[in-house]
Amino acid sequence: MKKVLIIALSVFALTAQADFLGGSHNWNNGSSDPFKSALKAAETGYKANLAVNMAWRDTAKMIKEAKKLNAAGKTAAAVALANKAHHQTVNATAQTALAGSAGPRF
Amino acid sequence: MKKLITAVAGIGFLVGVASADVASDQKAFIGYFKSIQPNVEFADYTNGVYAYDAGSRDQFEEILDGIPPYEESVEKGGAEYLKFGLNKCAALADPAAARLKHPYFDDATNKVVTLEGVIKACYKQQTGKKLGSNKGKIARISSWISDQAAGEKVNVKVEGAAAQAAYDQGKAFFYGKRGQFNMSCADCHVYNAGKKARADILSPALGHTTHVPMYRAKWAGLGTLQRRYGGCLKNMRAKPIGSQTETMNNLEYFHQAMSNGLEITDARYRK
Repeated sequence: MKKVLIIALSVFALTAQADFLGGSHNWNNGSSDPFKSALKAAETGYKANLAVNMAWRDTAKMIKEAKKLNAAGKTAAAVALANKAHHQTVNATAQTALAGSAGPRF
Repeated sequence: MKKLITAVAGIGFLVGVASADVASDQKAFIGYFKSIQPNVEFADYTNGVYAYDAGSRDQFEEILDGIPPYEESVEKGGAEYLKFGLNKCAALADPAAARLKHPYFDDATNKVVTLEGVIKACYKQQTGKKLGSNKGKIARISSWISDQAAGEKVNVKVEGAAAQAAYDQGKAFFYGKRGQFNMSCADCHVYNAGKKARADILSPALGHTTHVPMYRAKWAGLGTLQRRYGGCLKNMRAKPIGSQTETMNNLEYFHQAMSNGLEITDARYRK
């Protein structure tokens, strides 16, 4: 009986905590605003790519467009575009790792 | 004394190693082009893409037989060379020698110096004004200077560890993949040279630098080699890098060295 009580109390405690955090905890990279968080990731990545001359052509345009969309209240589209820009910076970073030591295939 | 001899011999060895690297790189480079186009002679690469395609070659020769569209601009470049006092700068006083000397690695500044870089510096010194890097005046003046060395051979020297490092950076840039299309310069201009990209035949990198600055029909004007780099980077969906920056100069250093031994030509028309 004691064991059942302990388990039931533990489950209750964890559920309550999850409910509490669900509404307020910042699961998204330190920001409660999904757009801000996506934008920050994209801008940080882009800056790093620029510093090593490996930025992609359209990333800055995508970031700019995402900001416009967000300002127009189209948050979902803005987040999607910012995430896409961030994805570009991740790929550019992967290229950077290989580009420094690139050589001929023959 | 013994130490001095050892040091001198050591430096000599390093210089030898650096030069040997360029020579072996170029040997492999030329060998690759020979393997994909066995019937094209090395010397013919001075004509770039026209060494590969007979139809395009005919059109090219027809254009050269008439009045090439860049002729007037190049003449104007000669007049501008004098007008702006570029002949008063030691580095440009002998234009043919200037073309042959550049690009080179300057040990004092630890940087690659390009012909356009020197023209810009001299122009600033003489006029107090800035000169662009890609088209217009600089391309006209650089074309005229290069014309004075027509018939001479490209001979880029890579001597010393620092020069070798700059060359290696240029080489890594040339072969490194970048941009959304994940392509390198070599993907088009080495591995797929002679093949078609839409309606155009991809030019071989070997010989690219014999006719720079080039006149491109697409531009309807002259442009420097580094202007073209910017265009290529855009096509690869990479963000273009500023002309006459260290990265672009190192790329030019490597790129020009790969054409060592080819004749500089004044036939600068390209599609």
